[in-house]
Amino acid sequence: MGRQYEIPVGAQHISLLEPLHFKFTTENEKIIRTDANVYYVHRGIEQACCSKFKFRQVSFVVGRVCGLCSISHTTAYSQVAEKLLKLDIPKRAKYLRMLVIELDRIHSHLLCLSHVAENSGFEALFMKTMQYREFSMELLEAVCGNRIQYDFSIVGGVARDLKPETGQLILQRLKNFMPQLEELVGIYQHNRTLSLKNKGVGVLSKDDALRLNVVGPFARAAGLAVDVRNETEDLLPWKEVGFEMITDTAGDVHARNMIRLREIYISIRIIQNIINGLPESALLTETKAFPDGEATVRLEAPRGELFYYAKGNKTQVLERLKIKAPTFSNVAGMVHAFTGNEYGSAAAIIASYDPCLSCTAR
Amino acid sequence: MNLAPYRKKSPWILHYNAGGCNGCDIEILACLSPKYDIERFGMINTGNPKQSDILLVTGPVTKRSRERLVEIYAQMPEPKVVISCGACASTGGVFRGMYNCEGGVDQFIPVDVYVCGCGTRPEQIIDGVVQALAILEKKTKGLEESVKLKKEAVKEGHQLNRRHIADEIKPVLT
Repeated sequence: MGRQYEIPVGAQHISLLEPLHFKFTTENEKIIRTDANVYYVHRGIEQACCSKFKFRQVSFVVGRVCGLCSISHTTAYSQVAEKLLKLDIPKRAKYLRMLVIELDRIHSHLLCLSHVAENSGFEALFMKTMQYREFSMELLEAVCGNRIQYDFSIVGGVARDLKPETGQLILQRLKNFMPQLEELVGIYQHNRTLSLKNKGVGVLSKDDALRLNVVGPFARAAGLAVDVRNETEDLLPWKEVGFEMITDTAGDVHARNMIRLREIYISIRIIQNIINGLPESALLTETKAFPDGEATVRLEAPRGELFYYAKGNKTQVLERLKIKAPTFSNVAGMVHAFTGNEYGSAAAIIASYDPCLSCTAR
Repeated sequence: MNLAPYRKKSPWILHYNAGGCNGCDIEILACLSPKYDIERFGMINTGNPKQSDILLVTGPVTKRSRERLVEIYAQMPEPKVVISCGACASTGGVFRGMYNCEGGVDQFIPVDVYVCGCGTRPEQIIDGVVQALAILEKKTKGLEESVKLKKEAVKEGHQLNRRHIADEIKPVLT
């Protein structure tokens, strides 16, 4: 029985992108208890969406909930608004939404991987992953017109069309990226130094993952087969474009890295299928109706299941909008998985959760 | 030891997210990556406010993060430059008027460079940081000037040192 020390991490810390406060209670360098404080960035977006903005403007506001998965937020809101309007959107718009969501997933996963490498102390791998990640940012700029904050989905369809030459550019860049991805998989899988830092660290078992209601790559690394893309077919036809579930069993930081890398392969396959079989139709369904009734939508963001609830009352302004972000579901699992690990590996574990607090706090 | 030339050649950056959407933060991270590589200006991303010269702030200031922001600013040594990254850090942007947002960094700490855009492009951030370098140099000179002004009060032929300045102040106190 040693003495217990409380070590605070955050709100401002070099290994954190966002203000996030952890208080670790440690004993002989082992973490025995963790307290998390995630609500530094609460802005009050839900309230503003129900009072200040009209329902067509809200899709641009909810994009600003999170810069990493803004397309997931705008798409989920557009879908929920379309349900309220009882609107059917064109098939091409659905495919283009899936295309941008998958491109966004590639850049988000690579960012998370580079962050894990940096926080494990592998600065060179951080630089390498960030260098390889740039192609996805350039492709997103070519498709949407902006590197982040795409504002691609709007209520009723999408805002821009995909030109054929842009499609060819995407296919070409993905082909160039494949050997780079193989290289990254080799390093993340077999590098001995990184494995010492990542294998067996931050383990969350399958039972705990189920009990604590964990979602996303965090849950799939623990062996839970949860993915909204596998469950819903009505809004976006994921299985049509070649979606495949990926799970691992170890549940540690290394398993999360491998899940993310293997998901990038699936994303690349989906993008190739979409571009090769893009249906021809209009981009936007116009309507003059007002939102009425209640609706919910689930969508797989890069971090897990994103949930939207909206209620309309036949006016321009929504009555209620509720956003439940993936990291909000993961907080309990995040706090649990620290227990029993060395304090020195806490930074790598935090990065491997890929926390997105601006989503959580809204 | 004269630190001024080193400060100009190698300013250290502190990054704080005061409630933004992560968009500008990942672009700051992209600036550190090989494609944009702001390390060629000698800049290093540091986590310690006591070692840093340039503060990059993103996000509209939320009510919970404003104390942290002011405290981080107060901990930084002079001379220091503040860059507000993005539309919401500069003016509040789309979050202006939301109940938990203050709307803009410049309501709490003095901002030297405003970088526009939602989200900011890495090129814009680099441009803002290079402008901040010029301001940092000017501020460094400004710090030295206050000593030089005292030099005029000392008689000719005297070398200025700390003891002389202390001697001047003494009669004021008594």
